Parts: sequence; structure tokens; C-alpha cells
Amino acid sequence: MHAAAPGERPVGPGPGALETLLDRVSRGDQEAFETVYLTVSGPVLGLVRRLVRDPAQSEEVAQEVLIEVWRCAARFDADKGSAMSWIMTLAHRRAVDRVRSAQASSDREHRVAVRDHTPAYDEVSEQVERRLEREQVRRCLGSLTEIQRESVMLAYYRGCTYQETADLLGAALGTVKTRLRDGLIRLRDCLGVTS
Amino acid sequence: MTTADLHTLTGAYALHALSDRESEEFAHHLSVCPACAQEVRELRETAARLALAAAETPPPDFRERVLAAITETRQLPPLVPESDHRRPSRWRLWRHRLPQLALAACMVIALVAVGVAVDAEQQVSQQRSATATAQQQASKLSQLLVAPDATFHNGRLTGGGSSTVVASAQLGQVAFVYHGLPTLPDSKVYELWYSKGGVMVPAGLVSSSSGSGAKLLDGSPTGAAGVGVTVEPAGGSPRPTTSPILLTALDAT
Repeated sequence: MHAAAPGERPVGPGPGALETLLDRVSRGDQEAFETVYLTVSGPVLGLVRRLVRDPAQSEEVAQEVLIEVWRCAARFDADKGSAMSWIMTLAHRRAVDRVRSAQASSDREHRVAVRDHTPAYDEVSEQVERRLEREQVRRCLGSLTEIQRESVMLAYYRGCTYQETADLLGAALGTVKTRLRDGLIRLRDCLGVTS
Repeated sequence: MTTADLHTLTGAYALHALSDRESEEFAHHLSVCPACAQEVRELRETAARLALAAAETPPPDFRERVLAAITETRQLPPLVPESDHRRPSRWRLWRHRLPQLALAACMVIALVAVGVAVDAEQQVSQQRSATATAQQQASKLSQLLVAPDATFHNGRLTGGGSSTVVASAQLGQVAFVYHGLPTLPDSKVYELWYSKGGVMVPAGLVSSSSGSGAKLLDGSPTGAAGVGVTVEPAGGSPRPTTSPILLTALDAT
């Protein structure tokens, strides 16, 4: 780092920047929360929208997630993973809960099977892939086998259980469980994710 | 289910693709299988990258709603483990499960705390107005803020407001994140600059209408020694016509 200009306060190097911000948030620092908001609101809303679809409901869920980050910042444990991973896990969990509870009530009312009221895989895959801004992620998803990629995308971007994924893909339950794991492992290695 | 079977569930667990009952069983297994717990951590980090790739620009009033809601939301204190000898031995086991329980508790109360009505029609039109460029910006910004080599420099602007300049040499990107920027008359605008070899190179304009936000700088930071902000006539200037209200040094890139 060059000599700092007057009035400038370095707040630390990159790794752990979001973690440092969360630490400030846990002490009630609203300005730090605004920076966290800028960092994570796009991916949180984008991810929730992939699963929930309905814009108004998606915003409601995304808002719940961001408020939860504020409420629970002191409970974030850096030993259990990065701050980004913690927040995206919260967002995914909330979105999955919303999708499944809506699905459960609709199943009770209409006795409709998952496959009948959900769009075809190709449609979803196309929508998601069009959105993928990040070349590296697109490239790495491309390095998976078809069944690995389809399993990961149905589970992550659609919120399907592995049973539903197996049903949609016409694959055995055991196969889907294994493909979810080895697909993610291949993605991890391709993206160079460390923990 | 055998232990070998359980090991293969790390992927499905990380993606929330198990039923509640299976998920609970597997969470229990994690407390006695450090290798599985490590793998779940890594696979969750991987899944987070899929979320970053799906980033979208929130509608304009979303930020205000969230910020208003947090001022009315009480924060939870940290979990402080009590000393072991005063507790039954089961406590050790429970401690492993505490983060999960805490997470669940966080969720339930947050649901009650929200209760904000959303005008669906308004949201649809706002979604339409979000441009592809803006979405790309949001995604790039998120990536920049979590880049492993990102540096953060806080500063105060002459005339009011505070800012953080975030830079990553690896991504070749710099962002100007600002709070409480004073509103300028319509005839003026904030302009960002790179300082390259003593020459100020235009790096984009910031509208003062919102006061807070973030802007990715135009152009490459390669060779820039610093970033500056000036107030310029509307439309911007090719060279600064006023003294900088902020100057921040950058790492050599």
C-alpha cells in the first residue's frame, strides 16, 4: 500500500473484509450494514428469485434474509465458513422453505405431482444460464457431466429435493445423491474454492 | 442408513436437497464426522459462487425498506458457551448442534419481524426497468467486494459524506461506495478520476440524487496511483475543473 492520503483510514486487506463488516454490524453499526447490503443484496435477491420466481414474494424473502443478517450477525462463526457462504446459505434455506411450503399446500389442495406444475428442466436451465454473469461459473458448470450439472442446478436454483430431482431426471435416488456430491466437488475444484 | 451412505449426503445437505428428517439426521452425523463437516463447508462455499453468478439488481426502494426495517429490529447477542464442568456431559454434544439451532431461532423471529406489505404491481414495473447493465454492475460489485485481494479505504469527502474505495488488482476493478453524499444542483455532478502518471483520467459520473450507493469505475485501474472525486458541470469534464473533494491512494496495479 502506498502512503495513505490525508483523511484516509485503511480498514484492512481483502480476505475477511465482509467478515470484518459483519463484526461491526454485530455491534449495531448501520453504516457497515449498508456496505454489507451493497455487497450481498444483488446475489441474495437473484438467488431467491431463481427459486421463488414471483417478484413480490422474492423481495419479501430477500428482505427477511437481509434483516436476519442484521439480527444474527453476532451469531456468525468464521470457523464454520466465510461470511458470504453464511449469508447465501441463509438465503437459500429461506427460499427453499418458501418454495416447499407453497408446494405442500398446493399439493394438498390439488393433488398435483411436482412434475406437473413445474417447468421443464430445459426452460429453467436456459433462464439460469442466461443470467450467469460470471464466465468462470459458466465455464465450470460446463465441465460437469450432464447429469451432475442438471442435478446441481435443479437442487440449487429450483430448490428440488434429491427425490424430486431423481423423479424429474428419471434417475435412481442413489445416483442423484452421488451426482450432487461429485458435481459440487468438481465445481469446487474448477472454481478453486478453498475453506 | 450406513455410515458410508451418510458420507455421500454432503452435497445434498449443502444444497438443502434433503427432507427435514434426513437433514436433521445428517446434521447429527456432522457433529461426529469432522471430514464431512469440512466437506460441507467447502461445498457451501462452492454453492455461494452459484448465488453470486445469479445476482440481480434490487428495485430502487428495496434498500430503503431493508434499512428502515433494521432500525426496528433488535439484534441477538452472541452465543456464549458456559464452562463445561457446570454442565452435564451432554452439553458437549449439544454445543456442536448449537449453530444449527441458533440459525433456526434466527429464522423464525425474522419472519415475525418483517410483515411488510409489497405492492406487487409496482414491483413488476420496477423489475422491468432494471437494465441488464445495472445487473451486470451489481454482480461485478459483489464479486469485487469479496475478491481475495480487495483493499478497502475509508475516507471523508470535503463538503460532506463518507466513502469507501474498494480495489482489486486481480479483477482489475475499483468501486466507489458512498454514504450521505450532499445533493448537488442539477447543473453539477460528481466525477470520478484515476490518477495515472500525474494525469487525471475520467472514470465515470455519480449522480447525487440518491446520496448513498456504489459505482464501479469506468476504465482500467492499471497504472493508477490513486482515485479522486471532483464536482463538475453536468455531463462531466475531460479534466478536473475544481479541486478534489477526495483523494485516495491505490496499490500499484
